[in-house]
Amino acid sequence: MTVHGGSLSVRLGWRLAAVMLVAIALAAGGVAWRAIATVHELDDSALQSQVRVIGARLPPEGDAASITLPDDLVAPFRASDGDNVFLIYQGSHLVATSDPAEAARLEPLLPHPLQLGFFRVPPSVARIHGMIGLAAYQGMRRVVVLQGREQSAVLLDSLAGNFLVAVIWLLLPLGLVTTGVGVWTIRRGLSPLRHVSAAAARVDPNQPGERLPTTALPSEVAPLVLAMNDALARLELALQAQRRFVAEAAHALRTPLAVLTARLDGVGDGETAEAVRLDVDRMARLVGQLLRMARLEGLPLDLTQPVDLRAAAVEAITALVPLALRDRIDLALLDGPSVILPHGNRPALVLAVANLIENALAHAPPNSTVEVVVGAPARVSVRDEGPGVALADRARIFERFERGPASHEAGAGLGLAIVAEIAAAHGGSACVTGRPGGGAAFHLVLHPGDSAASQWLECENENVEPSDSVWATSNAAA
Amino acid sequence: MRLLVVEDERELAQLLRTALERAGFAVDLAFDLAQADDHLVMTAYDTVILDLSLPDGDGLASLRRLRARRSTVPVLLLTARDGFEDRVTGLDAGADDYLIKPFHVPELIARVRALLRRPDAALGVTLTLGRVALDTTTRQVRVGGVDVAFSVRETTLLELLLRRQTRVVSREALEQGLYSFDAQLGSNAMEVLVYRLRRKLDEAATDLCVHTVRGVGYVLAERA
Repeated sequence: MTVHGGSLSVRLGWRLAAVMLVAIALAAGGVAWRAIATVHELDDSALQSQVRVIGARLPPEGDAASITLPDDLVAPFRASDGDNVFLIYQGSHLVATSDPAEAARLEPLLPHPLQLGFFRVPPSVARIHGMIGLAAYQGMRRVVVLQGREQSAVLLDSLAGNFLVAVIWLLLPLGLVTTGVGVWTIRRGLSPLRHVSAAAARVDPNQPGERLPTTALPSEVAPLVLAMNDALARLELALQAQRRFVAEAAHALRTPLAVLTARLDGVGDGETAEAVRLDVDRMARLVGQLLRMARLEGLPLDLTQPVDLRAAAVEAITALVPLALRDRIDLALLDGPSVILPHGNRPALVLAVANLIENALAHAPPNSTVEVVVGAPARVSVRDEGPGVALADRARIFERFERGPASHEAGAGLGLAIVAEIAAAHGGSACVTGRPGGGAAFHLVLHPGDSAASQWLECENENVEPSDSVWATSNAAA
Repeated sequence: MRLLVVEDERELAQLLRTALERAGFAVDLAFDLAQADDHLVMTAYDTVILDLSLPDGDGLASLRRLRARRSTVPVLLLTARDGFEDRVTGLDAGADDYLIKPFHVPELIARVRALLRRPDAALGVTLTLGRVALDTTTRQVRVGGVDVAFSVRETTLLELLLRRQTRVVSREALEQGLYSFDAQLGSNAMEVLVYRLRRKLDEAATDLCVHTVRGVGYVLAERA
């Protein structure tokens, strides 16, 4: 099964890290934006105060082509090395400036016509950051003050540097801690799910009362677990209903047959009585097999007990010795290893072996031998000296109500189907091969944890006619 | 020999009573658990035939109560269930044998007789099969009413086989019944003893035959 969701904590870790990075970027951007705005405000108010100072120191208006300003007003502008410049116009005529050379270079760059208020001088060869200017009327004169942008650029650079250092030493550890705490919380919060999955792995048709633990579950996953428990409760009810039905059907069908059999046994001997007795036996046998089939299909087998396959074979043989004696057939358990199947159902396996023996007895000629062999790792084989099973019939005979051409009178065609069903319930399979020297060999192969393919090989090795073995399993068609 | 038949299906109960009485048993009937418990407290039965599904509960409950009272009366279960767990549950609860419905009445009578033959069921029982009879007290074997001399070992082997007549007795069970634990057994001691018993049975002109079930054990049956 593939899990597509990925790890919740890894996802949370990545997302928290991304959020932290975005937060850092936004914070840096916000601080820079605020800083720029502040620098611009400072620039603006500086220009305004310069205009005011210059305006207050201007001589009275006249027609002079140029005016002379006090040295203490002009000197700081000159000392700024072209960073701060002022120009004074009378009409469109430049009457005074702090730096004539700079003014000549700047004049073409000024907006034309020159509006009152703030304006920007675009970057030029001399000033890569451009300038900011303010034009204001002072009487009939216009005072224009300009200031370079280098100051604010330097200020921003230093600000960004300081800010980044602060971010790296403060926000980055904070982000790492946040991510770590988030991942840890997720891990701790989901750890009760480990107990839930352990309990879910124990859920089994033979322990239908098993429920998933709901203690210490975070409220986010509790509904899922509670819903699972509800589903388990519904399954348990369905299983109980099935169990009850099989038990009740068995009772309802077997009781009248028991009355009928007992009444017939009281009738005494006679040709008709004997014939009816055989009919009733056949009916009883069919009912028994149908009930077993229904039980095997509808209810899971309890496979929790270790089963000694040799002991199971002995039990099956013991039950069928009277039938073998009646038909003058020698029933024998051959020497073989002791095989313990770790997880099995003994009554079911005894029934499977008994069905194979019954089938062999039905086809074996008088004074022949039916041999039972227990083989390693986990196999029971029953061999007879009968006519054998034709290749074409070997798959069919394990199907329900399928009766071989030389079938026994009383056979209902369910015995071998029950064998296949019991084998499949044990994760194994049933197959038939030819017996060396003629006859059939039926195999019940129950290798624990073995694949169908290797079980097939097992049957192949057993086979004298390679490639003619046919398997009957629940997944034979696959 | 007094039997209690606990069976709620009245028709079947009456049929069983008729057949068992014809076989020489005294039979009481109980149709539910309450009646069965009353009978069991008041009367000492030799064998109880107990149906598992009764109108007022599970026959196993009655069986457990019986065993809790330390009663060792043999109990044969009748059941319509033959689920793959039921029979084990019945034997675990203290039943001695079980029959699945439907069953033949002669089979039931044979099983009841087998239960009564058990060593702890009664002392001094005569075991019979065909023309052969063995008195377990005097250890005397009679064939067609005539005393025949069998050795001690042969008599014990015959008794072990007669107790489970027509059913297979495992080789291990026979060895345990015949020899003490420290006996040095030859590898073919059993075969030799069985061979001698077979010859004895033939010489005495009995109609019995000891069949070998190879790998499992031996079974004593009438010659067909």
